[in-house]
Amino acid sequence: MTIVWTNIVFSMAAFIILYLLLNKFAFSKLFGVMEKRRELVMQQMDEAAKTREQAVAYVEEQKQALQQARQEAQQIIQQSQVTSSNQADRLMEQAKAEADRLKNEAVRDIANEKNKAVEALRSELGTASVRIASKLLEKEVKTDGEQEQLVDQYLKEVGGRS
Amino acid sequence: MHEMPLIYVGGIPIDLSAVLMLVVSCVIVFVLAMLAVRNLSVENPSKLQNFMEWVVEFVQGVISSAMDLKKGRPYISLGLTLILFIFVSNLLGLPFSFITEAHEPVTIFGHVIEATKHLAHGDHAEILWWKSPTADINITAGLALIVFILMNFLGIKNNGKHYFKHFIEPFPIFLPLNIIENLAKPVALAIRLFANIFAGEVLITVILKLSVVSIPFLAIWQGFSIFVGALQAYIFTILTMVYIAQYTIHEEEAH
Repeated sequence: MTIVWTNIVFSMAAFIILYLLLNKFAFSKLFGVMEKRRELVMQQMDEAAKTREQAVAYVEEQKQALQQARQEAQQIIQQSQVTSSNQADRLMEQAKAEADRLKNEAVRDIANEKNKAVEALRSELGTASVRIASKLLEKEVKTDGEQEQLVDQYLKEVGGRS
Repeated sequence: MHEMPLIYVGGIPIDLSAVLMLVVSCVIVFVLAMLAVRNLSVENPSKLQNFMEWVVEFVQGVISSAMDLKKGRPYISLGLTLILFIFVSNLLGLPFSFITEAHEPVTIFGHVIEATKHLAHGDHAEILWWKSPTADINITAGLALIVFILMNFLGIKNNGKHYFKHFIEPFPIFLPLNIIENLAKPVALAIRLFANIFAGEVLITVILKLSVVSIPFLAIWQGFSIFVGALQAYIFTILTMVYIAQYTIHEEEAH
């Protein structure tokens, strides 16, 4: 082991030169890239957190929308029930009114017909009784026995007719 | 004993092996780092980039264990360079070493290698060219000196008068002790790293003398040496950070 002072100087110089070269050409770039990666990771984590928040908010929104839709559906069903029952009532009333009208009409018609028939019968009976009376009067003029016979005969005729 | 290929250029001693190994270490570390940052990607890093980022995070962990990471941010590059350079240097001597044997004065670049200058006839010198650069005390001393200068400079710059006040605490009589403590730090750093790696290489040389029998021992020892190399690089880095933290951070509750 010999001390050679130039070796000390050389090693110092070599180390300093190596340090400067590495610092300039290698390490600064490497540190830059590592710093960039750190920033990238931070950014991605931030983004992930943000995305998660958004997702939670979105789910909440969807839940609300679903709730709303359900409520609306319920409302529509209730409304339709009300309207349908209303309609049914109205239809029933209409039908009842129609039936009443028809019944009334029929009753009026029947009454009319009856009146007419009574009228017709009355006039027929009148003429028939007039004719009977006239026949009776004709026979009475001829013979007594025959008069009775005739009255009977015509009365029979009337009974058979009516 | 292996000699270093020392030449004198205009009166200045130059250890060619140290220069060679320093250059090799620096080139390997630099190429590794450049390969790692060749296709930098934020989302899809390559394997080498992943490895380098792991090393960066490891060094960040080392620094944050010594000081607040906010204050330690400027030292990440320093810690990375230290740990990579020392680790690569520690491993370089493990796979092989390169030794030439000289029987007469050897001249290189027009200068005679010192160890071969005064060879008598029949003598020979073994010159070690390829080794771990950190198996040379001069080189670890250089690294430790950088740490020493840096920690004192940063202490004066960031701490001001507290740095000087620190030397006469808890009592002025502790001044010499504190100075010795300050000086002992780089010495300990240099000798610890040098001794560990040098001992490892010496033991490899010794094991190799066992010829064929050496293979299992060598395998075990080389594996352990890789561990020791990594451990020493880690210790050097964390101690550097601890020293810097000690001198730069003025703890309020201590006063």
